[in-house]
Amino acid sequence: MTFLYFDPGLGAMIIQAIIAAVAGVVLFSKNLMYKIKVFLGMAKPIEDDVFDDIDIEDSDIESNNSKES
Amino acid sequence: MQAKNAHSSSFRDPSGYIFVDNGEIKRTINPIYFNQYNALTKSGFYNNLFKNDLLIPHEEVSNSEQEIILKAEKIPFVTYPYEWSFNMYKEAALLTLKLQKYSLEKGFSLKDATAFNVTFHKGKAIFIDTLSFDFYLENSPWRAYKQFITHFFGPLLLAHYHGAQSLKLLSNFIDGIPVKMIRSMLPFKTKLSPILYSNIHLLAKLEDKHNEDYKGEAKEASLSKKGQLNIIQSLYDYIKKLELKEHSEWGNYYDKTNYTDDAFIKKSEIINTWINTIQPERLIDIGGNDGTFVRKLNSAVKTALVCDIDNNAVDFNHKTMKLNKEQNMLPFVLDVLNPSAAIGLNNKERDSFLDRIEAFAPEATLALAVIHHMSLSGNVPFSESAKFFSSFSKHLIIEFPKREDSWVQRLLNNKADFKDHFGFYNLDNFISAYSNEFEILEQKEIEGSKRVIFLLRKKS
Repeated sequence: MTFLYFDPGLGAMIIQAIIAAVAGVVLFSKNLMYKIKVFLGMAKPIEDDVFDDIDIEDSDIESNNSKES
Repeated sequence: MQAKNAHSSSFRDPSGYIFVDNGEIKRTINPIYFNQYNALTKSGFYNNLFKNDLLIPHEEVSNSEQEIILKAEKIPFVTYPYEWSFNMYKEAALLTLKLQKYSLEKGFSLKDATAFNVTFHKGKAIFIDTLSFDFYLENSPWRAYKQFITHFFGPLLLAHYHGAQSLKLLSNFIDGIPVKMIRSMLPFKTKLSPILYSNIHLLAKLEDKHNEDYKGEAKEASLSKKGQLNIIQSLYDYIKKLELKEHSEWGNYYDKTNYTDDAFIKKSEIINTWINTIQPERLIDIGGNDGTFVRKLNSAVKTALVCDIDNNAVDFNHKTMKLNKEQNMLPFVLDVLNPSAAIGLNNKERDSFLDRIEAFAPEATLALAVIHHMSLSGNVPFSESAKFFSSFSKHLIIEFPKREDSWVQRLLNNKADFKDHFGFYNLDNFISAYSNEFEILEQKEIEGSKRVIFLLRKKS
């Protein structure tokens, strides 16, 4: 890790543990709600979605690795 | 360590710098970043990001013990965050989170998260700072977290609550909007949202508290990787759902104008004939609304910039592009009466619109239905708007609505008592002022409307 050329904010570093905990609870409860909605047949399909999922396609890395090994 | 010819925006990160060499964009990597660079290259990390169009591709041109030099793919026109529409801004924010999640999974981490690390290229947001990736240290919090909030999350929230105009704030806060200011501008009810309370209100409070810690005595914080992934995922979900509240004033512009369908088709036929004779590779449509006229062109333009003052029109264009998977169009927000200035250190870090458009050198400029707004709403004399257009265009296709046009009438009526001061607004004055800068190649009345369209060439 090279040294930083900007101030990450000490408060911002400490608080991330709290934010992560909150995020964990939110994600868990949203996920649960979604599962309940799917179970009850209430989940709505997303229309006109131009943004992808957060995950990046990874197949290329694996094939690269297998070539090298 | 810094080379003499380093680009004026490339001085913050000691890992390396950008320079322009014979019109090519090159990047020098200093030994301090060799380990990271080698790891990112060998693991296929860079390659996979190139394949997914998420990072600007580069190739290595030289490799010595002192420096490694990369050549990066050139982006024809770089737009800045304060020129993006709401959904473009959103796309850039989501890209940054996506990259951080991917980095964490591969044992890396973004060491900065400024909005200037992203721009738009081939119809997509793309990350342009190759040296932003560093090794992830087990259980360390995300160092760029606060930057992400002040550069992305904060501005998007302000746009959600106060309108898309808030996105322009970043031109005054090149290092991000202060957390305290974001907090002060959010309504009270945001304190009830766990995500907003923790990411903004609590953050602002803690930042304030630790500002006093001059000695740096507080100990280093720690955070598990799972915890960090939770933050990233929750921000991603929240931002993905964020929408603007306002509705477009121009959204259905073409329904409101006084064009008959026939005149509309005539106009686009004339433009097409002229564009086909110019055959431009690079084009800019000033006041291009949602890109309607550029989409009607039947000649293949390599890069078409479409700018408009209205964030919603640009947003609509961006969405249409995404749905059609178009790559040659680049929409952005621009106020011709106040184009983006050069900002940052020495006023050289981020170039002005005029410098960038001059370098882009469009072979054709479209200015359809803008002159009456410039002249009557903005009080810009014909001689000045002619100078503006001639500063960057080789060919100018400009539409002039005559006094009898209903839009012109509406604008004139808004002037009430001052209506008489706008007597200058007529075809003869327009022609004589523009003749100083341009040669008139063609002039055509658009049948079925009170408008005339010109093909002009800049005088050499």
